[in-house]
Amino acid sequence: MAWSAPIYVYLWLAGMAGGAYFAAFIADRFTGGGNRQLFRLATYLGIPMAVIGVILLIVDLGKPIRFWHLLTEFNVSSPMSMGTWILFAWVLIAVVLAVIWWSERFFDKGMPRNLQRLTSFLGGINVIFAVLLMTYTGVLLAVSNQSLWAGSVLLPSLFVASAISTGIAILIVGAMITNASTEVRLALNQCSRASDWTISNRTIVRLAEADAGVIVIELLALVGYAVWLANSSMAGASEGLSILLNGSLAAPFWIGVVLLALLIPLWLDIANWGKQIGSNKRVAMVIASSSLCVVIGGLILRAVITIGGQS
Amino acid sequence: MPKARLIDTSKCMACRGCQVACKQWNELPAESTEQLGTYENPPELSAHTWIRVEFRERPGEWLFRAHTCMHCTDASCEKVCPTGAISHQGEVVIIDQKTCIGCGYCVEACPFHVVHKDEVDGTSRKCRFCIDRITNGIEPACAKTCPTGAIQFGERADLIDMGIRKAQKLRADGFPNTNFYGEDEMGGLHTLYVLTERPSVYGLPEAPELATSAALTKWLIGLVTAGVVAAVPLWLVFRRKKQLREEQQSKVEGGVK
Repeated sequence: MAWSAPIYVYLWLAGMAGGAYFAAFIADRFTGGGNRQLFRLATYLGIPMAVIGVILLIVDLGKPIRFWHLLTEFNVSSPMSMGTWILFAWVLIAVVLAVIWWSERFFDKGMPRNLQRLTSFLGGINVIFAVLLMTYTGVLLAVSNQSLWAGSVLLPSLFVASAISTGIAILIVGAMITNASTEVRLALNQCSRASDWTISNRTIVRLAEADAGVIVIELLALVGYAVWLANSSMAGASEGLSILLNGSLAAPFWIGVVLLALLIPLWLDIANWGKQIGSNKRVAMVIASSSLCVVIGGLILRAVITIGGQS
Repeated sequence: MPKARLIDTSKCMACRGCQVACKQWNELPAESTEQLGTYENPPELSAHTWIRVEFRERPGEWLFRAHTCMHCTDASCEKVCPTGAISHQGEVVIIDQKTCIGCGYCVEACPFHVVHKDEVDGTSRKCRFCIDRITNGIEPACAKTCPTGAIQFGERADLIDMGIRKAQKLRADGFPNTNFYGEDEMGGLHTLYVLTERPSVYGLPEAPELATSAALTKWLIGLVTAGVVAAVPLWLVFRRKKQLREEQQSKVEGGVK
């Protein structure tokens, strides 16, 4: 098996980094800048996830010392080459944004207008790279000759939906930890002093509602992916599918993916629908559990597909 | 004119001389192996076994096929290689061991499961079509050693003619499923086969596809899922109007209290 644990952990981390950024960007821009802290939190969460992912990738190479060969080539037909550049661009822009936010402290009268425009522009450009990043994690596997990966064109769809769902979930977890811990808020305040670093309960509830919608899309993508595979003309496609449905990976697939990543969080989100986080701790607990299920389930999804494709 | 080799399964007697000759010429080390119940050995192609005779038993007969790199005209391994380590040198698809980073993408992309990663050295390896021999006018080691002429080396066009005629003859002689494989597959293979059975019976894909053939569609489907489909629930929840309305509502409620 050429691709094992470091690869699927990397795919999961990179997808989650892109998904969190994508969700927070929409949450911020569609509310006219109403979720600035959330957007910054997503960027701060995404950078280490992407960097850890890249380190895993490099360590997994047969010749780790030669990883720089990736940066001397630009091969449009190789998703890995494209992914290298997408990841490089996303991390670079995210770091530039983080540096600009950190430097706000040196402007007594607030950030100059030009710098504000630049951050707004870079933030917008990077959402394109975030979308490309999420898509690449699926295309990397889909452009191959392993039937479970290449037999259905809906694999990128499934991975993108999973990336956004896990991205939203990690944002919720991050926001809850931020709200609960003074130390985290102080640390974030060292990174950027722009706000008081409390993320409103209303935003957290909205994220959970949006995640329920994304989970429904992911569920549809999974069904579509499986139906496509079952009807694929590619040799070994239906055998590949049966590894997941009733073969050696059936237990992690049904328990880890179908239940943990999809049905349980969906059920929890629906049970919570319309409730606000207030003095009642139960609502917050349900949202947190749902989000943790999504994050862990997302890892199991990547693992099951990566391993299943090579068996 | 491009060269090729023609492997005629009707002539192969599974002596595995090609395996030995390949190991000798390319100085490939021996490998630990396992007893599969026949003389088929080692269990699969590897970074150090570049040609291998596959055994398939059927009632009353054995099917043998030497499995090795096809040297595709449109090579999936070359297309997906992120560092440009895999290239065509004439008809030969070759991996530059000094540029390969060992990412393993070619292993996942090859439709014939030919490329393997050397776990010790870390780079990908496969048959080089004895490029050092054929560029000096000598046939590859596997073809040179083959005692029955099951592996022949020559001009690709000539071998295609020969293979098609041989397949016709075999069909007439009581092997009705005989077919010629490799003329058009993957843009044209440089390892051609006369197969006495359907390709799938011999473990070959009936219609091998380039790994990158639907790449654009796959990229677009992913992008649309993120940019259009999955953005909808986020948009529904966070659109500005809704927030303003809710804020107004909470102000009114606050006023009532």
